[in-house]
Amino acid sequence: MVLLSAPRWLRSRLTDRFWRVQEVLKYARHFRGRKNRCYKLAVRSVRRAFVKSTKARREKKRFLRALWVTRIEAASLEHGLKYSAFINNLLKSQVELNRKMIADLAIYEPKTFKSLAALAQRRREEGFLAALGDGKEPEGIFSRIVHHY
Amino acid sequence: VAKTSLTSPPWPEAKLPDPVEEAKYHAEVVQKVNKMIATGQYGRLFAVVHFASKQWKITSEDLIMMDNVLEAECGDRIRMEKVLLVGADDFTLIGRPLLGKNLVRVEATVIEKTESWPKINMRFRKKHNYQRKKIITNPQTVLRINTIEIFPCLS
Repeated sequence: MVLLSAPRWLRSRLTDRFWRVQEVLKYARHFRGRKNRCYKLAVRSVRRAFVKSTKARREKKRFLRALWVTRIEAASLEHGLKYSAFINNLLKSQVELNRKMIADLAIYEPKTFKSLAALAQRRREEGFLAALGDGKEPEGIFSRIVHHY
Repeated sequence: VAKTSLTSPPWPEAKLPDPVEEAKYHAEVVQKVNKMIATGQYGRLFAVVHFASKQWKITSEDLIMMDNVLEAECGDRIRMEKVLLVGADDFTLIGRPLLGKNLVRVEATVIEKTESWPKINMRFRKKHNYQRKKIITNPQTVLRINTIEIFPCLS
């Protein structure tokens, strides 16, 4: 005859509770205080640590870009240029190096950075001269400026 | 009219050098650099390459790891074409924005194609019994830069 339901003396008991607990505690071993030993406290700390690391991965990009900008600013001030002028004129001269590269070049290749700063300075001066123009007034305009010949 | 503080602008007046003389000077410099490249008077070359949507500063015998899949088998030689900058000790060639393919040649070999270490992505909302845990392994490729060569084709 076939027994369709299990008898009452057969119980299903959890046998690998130790390993399930260790899976969580292994991420908490370097924490401070009782949360590196006690499971109940460790679960909360480990969960917060995971969430913080996921959010930090998005903020790392912003943080690193700010760091590169600070470094480029410091390096360009050594050559007598502000960061805004440097980047603006580099982009106008169609040099498309990103901030990470320029920061690395400023650290490891000072001569190359100096040439980039000189390029930006020259483009800046050319821009000023182009904007100022010839110093003549446009034709057909009657103005109050006095000319001394 | 007497000169006041507002007759001339407060910034220093910038004068550009004479264009004819400048052109001569530029031609001289270009010829010098061409000769240096032709005779091979440079030491170690470094290049800035745009690859896998990132810019890398590379030299020869360099290892590079990208966070994506490359459609090339292990051991394939690859030529990187988007070179932004090449430099040596005495000169640098800056591309606007890229350098020509007949000027620079960057060769690399694919060494390894693995997955990254298991990164844990966890979302948690408090008091709402909501938590999701996901383990992400990105595919990665490791390249070794073999050589960077420049040819004297400046003009």
